Amino acid sequence: MKDLKIVVNLMFREKKDVFYSILFGFLAGIGAVSLFANSGYLISKAAIMPPLYVLTISIALLKLFSVTRAVSRYGERYFSHRATFTKLSNLRQYFFEKLEPLAPQIFQKYRSGDLLSRIVGDVESLQNFFLRVYYPPIVMVIVFLATIAFTAFFSIAVAIALVLGLIITGFLVPLWFSLKRKEIDNQLRESRGTVSTEAIEFFYGFRDLKLYYRLDEQANNLVNASATYVNEQRKVAGNELYNQSVNQLISLIVSWIVLGMGAYFVAEGQLDGVFLAMLVMVSLTVFENSTPMAAFPGYYHDSRRAANRLFSVVEKEEENSWEEKLEIEEVNINRPPTIELQNVNFSFPYEDRLALKDINLHLQSGSKTAIVGPSGSGKSTLLMLLLKVFSRNEGEVKLWNKSIGKLMDEDIWNGTNIALQSNHFFYGTIRDNLRIAKDGLSDDEMKAVLNKVKLQQFSLSDPVLEKGENLSGGEKQRLAIARAMLKGSHLWLLDEPTSSVDILTESHIYKELMKQGENDTMIFVSHRLTGLEKMDQIIVMENGTIIETGSYDELMNKKGYFYKMKEIEKDVFL
Amino acid sequence: MKQLKEINRAQKNNMYSLVLMSFMLGIVIVAQAYFIVEIVDRVFLQDTSFSAVIPYLGGLLLVLAARSLVTYVNGRTGVKMAAKVKGDFRKKLLSKYKRNPVQASLKGQSGEKVSIMMDAVDEIDSYFSKYYPQMIQTTIVPILILIAVFSQNWVSGLIMLITAPFIPIFMIIIGKSTQKKSEEQLEKLAAFSGRFLDILQGLTTLKLFGRAKEQRDAIKQSSLDYRDATMTVLKIAFVSSLMLEFISMLSIGLIALEVGLRLVIYEQLSFFTAFFVLILAPEFYNSLKELGSAFHAGRGSMGAAKKVIEELEMTEQPVQWGERRLEINSPPTIKLENVSFSYSEGKFALNNINLEIPPHSEVALVGRSGSGKSTLLNVISGIVSPTEGRISVQNQSLFDYKEKDWFDHISYISQNPYLFSGTIEENIAIGGRGITTIEEIQQAAKKAGINEMIKSLEEGFDTMVGEGGRGLSGGEKQRVALARAFLKKPTIILFDEPTVGLDLQTERILQQSIKELGKSATIITVAHRLHTIKNADKILFLEDGKLLAAGTHKELLASVREYEQMVTVQQGGETG
Repeated sequence: MKDLKIVVNLMFREKKDVFYSILFGFLAGIGAVSLFANSGYLISKAAIMPPLYVLTISIALLKLFSVTRAVSRYGERYFSHRATFTKLSNLRQYFFEKLEPLAPQIFQKYRSGDLLSRIVGDVESLQNFFLRVYYPPIVMVIVFLATIAFTAFFSIAVAIALVLGLIITGFLVPLWFSLKRKEIDNQLRESRGTVSTEAIEFFYGFRDLKLYYRLDEQANNLVNASATYVNEQRKVAGNELYNQSVNQLISLIVSWIVLGMGAYFVAEGQLDGVFLAMLVMVSLTVFENSTPMAAFPGYYHDSRRAANRLFSVVEKEEENSWEEKLEIEEVNINRPPTIELQNVNFSFPYEDRLALKDINLHLQSGSKTAIVGPSGSGKSTLLMLLLKVFSRNEGEVKLWNKSIGKLMDEDIWNGTNIALQSNHFFYGTIRDNLRIAKDGLSDDEMKAVLNKVKLQQFSLSDPVLEKGENLSGGEKQRLAIARAMLKGSHLWLLDEPTSSVDILTESHIYKELMKQGENDTMIFVSHRLTGLEKMDQIIVMENGTIIETGSYDELMNKKGYFYKMKEIEKDVFL
Repeated sequence: MKQLKEINRAQKNNMYSLVLMSFMLGIVIVAQAYFIVEIVDRVFLQDTSFSAVIPYLGGLLLVLAARSLVTYVNGRTGVKMAAKVKGDFRKKLLSKYKRNPVQASLKGQSGEKVSIMMDAVDEIDSYFSKYYPQMIQTTIVPILILIAVFSQNWVSGLIMLITAPFIPIFMIIIGKSTQKKSEEQLEKLAAFSGRFLDILQGLTTLKLFGRAKEQRDAIKQSSLDYRDATMTVLKIAFVSSLMLEFISMLSIGLIALEVGLRLVIYEQLSFFTAFFVLILAPEFYNSLKELGSAFHAGRGSMGAAKKVIEELEMTEQPVQWGERRLEINSPPTIKLENVSFSYSEGKFALNNINLEIPPHSEVALVGRSGSGKSTLLNVISGIVSPTEGRISVQNQSLFDYKEKDWFDHISYISQNPYLFSGTIEENIAIGGRGITTIEEIQQAAKKAGINEMIKSLEEGFDTMVGEGGRGLSGGEKQRVALARAFLKKPTIILFDEPTVGLDLQTERILQQSIKELGKSATIITVAHRLHTIKNADKILFLEDGKLLAAGTHKELLASVREYEQMVTVQQGGETG
């Protein structure tokens, strides 16, 4: 219910449209009732030879009601759909806004196909919430009340029959279906999510699936998921159809009772026969408003589930963000920062094992530092802490002499040039992918930087396929470095930036990096031990702790862990 | 839409059932009107007693029940048809995507393809669940009503006959533009999906570059575009139903006027006839009107179907495999003759490559990044077919063999192996043939040097990885891929930069692993490491997609200047 409330609140931004929907819905409903009542009356009256003016007035009214009904229906549809689709659009944005701060942790919990299915499918299905759950009952009740008041004028008994009919078809039957529906609670939304997830896996894993000859298997998974989904859809549609038919039958029976009672009263002389046709017509028409109520429980449950699926993603995560709220302080990021870590401990969300243990570091402004160590030793994690992508559990992290908790995430990110181990590239062109580095970059600037990373063979308008699939590993890394270079901030965090780049190019790029970052604070994470002689400080990590620090010469003279690794490197490479 | 009609014809039984039910419905509607009129007429004008109309009330009750039942069965049939068609379309799309060569699979955004598979296919639903049953209903029910009306009052019948065609004419005019608009709408939705998925994947990158807000706006714009496209389609629908409403109202009014006048002024009609006609007239136009809105939905479906069918008909040259068995127990001889490959028109990633790889050889592909090493590996693996030239295995064209036989013989450890959403165990087991035991998997993991790491995880081999699971580092992923290879025991191993991103100790373990794998296989490696290169029997030195030189380390060192330069840098450690 809480989730649906968010939907309702979002909807109320379109207050006017909601009001108009109800107003026109009422006019259309009552217009139809009047129209058929009038024609029933007209024909009966005609049978007993009334004065001509009665007929003329009736016919004029007939036209009026017809037009009212047609125009109102149009208005109702227009406003209700406009409100709905604006709401859906708001909902998508809302979802994305809530989702965005949760990256990247969220990806350890949800698959992208699943998230896609939620933002497209689940949001889409919420259109029924307004169109079929929220305002139609309101319209129905008003139309019925007006009709019943009108009927009561002619026959209390018939009015009572209509009241009972309303209660049964409008409330009891939907309620009954609602209870029944809970028992067989279907998996429509989930099964749609499964199809979407399997499809994404099929497309993303295409090459590996092909190589391992598992394409057929994955395709079968998809076909099965689709079959389940289609079956669920069929069940739901069948269910809706059944409910609607039952409700239709009941409403027809009520009209039948009205006719029977009316006939009885006319025969007994308690009702003027001229109104009988009218009452029957009223009854047949007014229930057009309540038969759709049979579908109410289906849509209601579906909407609830959809809202639930949608918001459960973002809500639960909010509770998990454990970063203490400190007062934000302004910081000038246009200078190389000092970096300090004191007794920092960190474990990944949902894991007990400490990924970083008791880390103490001091990097001076403008210093060049290399972090080396086996993979999984915590090198990249350390960078993630500096970027506030993850937050430390204990200890203190300071950038620009300020506690990281007091810095805005955006300030840190703006102040940093980053190239990670794997970088995302967007579907588009080289230019699109470079342009995100900074506002107002000229083509010349971008070309110059492509030269620096030896990607001059690319033109800015060369296409980049999804996830940069048309680029080699080395090209992607160099493009990421180019992006970092374009940004022009004064802290560099480079996580194995050139591991897939050949040695000649690597050496060239390092020179360029050192040139541009001469006065900046730079951190290189590296698994290679070559070229570390010029670093101010080398930090050696293993199993989440720092086991050695010092300059290249210091570490070599110490003949400790670094020295041993260097020996291994020689052994391996030469 | 031709294809959709064909599908209908294929579902003959359902069609017959729809026709039968529609006849029933027509009869029931006429009967309902008859009973109601009879009852009202009797008590109102003929002053019969209530008991005299009881049989008619009974008859009416039966008719009403029958009407609900018929509507239900009719709807049910439509739903059944739609379900089958949707399933079939998805299957067809999938088998087409399955046949696509790898380079085609990279084109476009995955999110868009998913959108076609999900949303466009779902959209086809209403053609079968709404439009088609309604169409059959509307061809039958109004005719039956018309017959009934003609039998009572031919003037009313004539009015109906003349006014009725306006409705379908109007429908056709509007339906045409609907289809186009709803195609646009689906395109917008697909674009939204593509965009969202891409942004989702790159959210971290975007955040770090301070671009998340812009993307939020992009999503907003995409979403609003979709809303507007939807509203355009709907507006047409609403206007069309408004028009249909007007036409039917005018016609009903005309009929009411006609019967009213003839009843009162000319006294040519009985009350019975007049009331009977007046009850049937709305039923008549309703049926036509319902076709109108169903037609609209059906047109929307046709738009969707067109998109799906276009996707199906888009021809990609699939890699064609043959039927020849590849029955070998040791590595085959692989030959490339004049092989060229281009990802897109005119731009060659590989240019006229000739080479021979004898069994058990260790081949190293060397060159700067972007020189075509990875592409060459892709071509040799058979996941893309060369644009020109021929690859032969055991003196037969590679593509004469059965696809499965060939892939059973190779292991490809790419730069970025894909981890499927599932446990580590499942991810390694994918390399095996048939059922693999956990012991075999652990053994493979040990050989790949990843056993320790897996064991240190709380859930060990049951840890969920891939999308929605624990992230693994690049090195860890590659070791999972190696473990897959150990399980597979291939005769050809393709390594793409196998030691990239790994630390030194693991690298040493891996050298041993690769050596062991190499005992029974040909190894083709994209290499950056000097020692891999030095150990190779043959080094292929690539530049700009061309094979610049081939030979042993010593030979190349002596004859190729660029090669020598590369080696010097590696040895001197002159980086940074």
